[in-house]
Amino acid sequence: MRHPSDVQLALLAGGDLRSWDGWRVGRHVTQCARCETEVRSLRDVSGRVRELTSELPQDLNWNRLAQEMAGNIRVGLAAGEAIAGFDRPLRSRPARLGLNAAMVLGCATAVFLVAFSVSLPKPQVEHLIGALNRIRTERIGRLAPHSAAAEDVVLEATSSSIEVKENDRAMSLMHPRSDGATVSVNLQGSAGVRFVDADTGQVTTNKVYYGEP
Amino acid sequence: MASRKLLLLAPVWLAGWGAFGGVVTQFNLAKDSPVKLLSAEYGESNETARGGALLLDLHAALSFENSSHRRIRGITLLVTAQDVTPGGKGSVTITSLDVAPDQTFPVRIDLRLLRPLQASGNVPVQISLDGILFDDLSFYGPDKLSSRRTLTLSEWEARRDRKYFKSLLAEGPERLRREILASMTHQADRPNVDVQVVRGGRATNFEPEQQMQFAFLRLPDAPVDPVGGMARIAGNEARAPRLEVKNRSDRSIRYLEIGWILRDHNGREFLAGSVPAQLTLAPGQNSQILENTTLKFPQHGGQPLAIEAMTGFVSSVEFADGSVWIPSRADLNGSELQRVIAPSDEEQRLVQIYRKKGIEALVAELNRF
Repeated sequence: MRHPSDVQLALLAGGDLRSWDGWRVGRHVTQCARCETEVRSLRDVSGRVRELTSELPQDLNWNRLAQEMAGNIRVGLAAGEAIAGFDRPLRSRPARLGLNAAMVLGCATAVFLVAFSVSLPKPQVEHLIGALNRIRTERIGRLAPHSAAAEDVVLEATSSSIEVKENDRAMSLMHPRSDGATVSVNLQGSAGVRFVDADTGQVTTNKVYYGEP
Repeated sequence: MASRKLLLLAPVWLAGWGAFGGVVTQFNLAKDSPVKLLSAEYGESNETARGGALLLDLHAALSFENSSHRRIRGITLLVTAQDVTPGGKGSVTITSLDVAPDQTFPVRIDLRLLRPLQASGNVPVQISLDGILFDDLSFYGPDKLSSRRTLTLSEWEARRDRKYFKSLLAEGPERLRREILASMTHQADRPNVDVQVVRGGRATNFEPEQQMQFAFLRLPDAPVDPVGGMARIAGNEARAPRLEVKNRSDRSIRYLEIGWILRDHNGREFLAGSVPAQLTLAPGQNSQILENTTLKFPQHGGQPLAIEAMTGFVSSVEFADGSVWIPSRADLNGSELQRVIAPSDEEQRLVQIYRKKGIEALVAELNRF
């Protein structure tokens, strides 16, 4: 007896096999214990999948999820293209020699980077990291997390300063570090810090705003 | 109004401007301004190149004189640097003042500007008066930053707390001392987190977003009842709060603020911010408050913050006739609010007097007015 293919059984289990094929395969399954078991097992699995998907959050934003997945796939493809050249096998050299050379080079690079970063002052390290990030971003696109969109204005309130940032420019109001400094935020677009000036005893509140308050 | 403005000291160049380079400050005070600028010093102002950017530090020590016939309770100065942040501005507010006519008072402004190194030319910084509140609650100023409301609310809180501490003083200095020490403990224990405000959508897309309902803390004599509300939460981000409130007073309301308390996965509660609403809410009427703003709570070291629950409460109300409502001391002392909300400006000032000068100075201050 000739059994239906796995694909046909799967289509039948999902109710997707129509007309003549559906009747023929269905008839076979009613007479064949092995295929009937297979179809029952497939239906069981699809039932469990349905149960699992029903447990997903009700308010899941599929459009946003799809955009994020598409974005990550694009980044992955771009990164794959960028490193594709490094993966080509070397024909003329023995593979073992190449591996050893790569290991030596890698170790030397790691030692150099550690020594370099330890000896470099912190501001320069931050600057270097920022520059490398910029290069990466320009070449393969931005990876999550992205801070606000470039055109967004961001307010930031910390216990040492408050700041309004626009692209690569910022205005901050500084205050002395104080135990009693109180950070506050108003959702119509302001952030502030209140503190008692140690010299004058005055209660001062520094605030930054974006747009028209 | 703008046409009536007089450039009192325009422009005032920084001391050592030639060496310092980049900042020109300009003070705009109207002809009929109730304060006069007596002096402006810029002792430690400087500029530093940092990577591809230029940091301009402006430290201004200003001295003003009250040239009106009333006592000044609070002042707000508006600071703008249009060339650096065209969409942003700053302000420096001093509250809990008691400046008599002809008396002088200082204002410090510590401003830092960051701009690309390639940008050329001086940075003009404009400093202008946004508002002054007097002891009779009258107000002067253009009020571009809603300073009238901010200063008035602060003054009402100051009056409430002075009255409260005076009532404790009537029971004896030791009772006052105990309450001040309790206030210091609350201030030290109160969690304070750094926060970023981003207009519009989410700042990151790491975490799945979920909708979370508000729980409400109802204060017995609040004129507004929060009916329901929700916000969208993703990890350490909270955004787009939507609240419904009902006016249960017999007066029309034109402004209100809902305090927003967040609880993280460790059970730690902190005041995230306030959701303000300018509306016209007649007695018995309901209204919705919507904000499309994102709050982000970055963690510098340590575990990332994960928001697990939210509580809202009515923190202030302004009626159509200009009078205001704020929570009473009984509301604050008898609820979980005490753990999370900051003490008033006046309470913080009184605590500082006790910390620096002791109980005698505090008693003298409370007896002054």
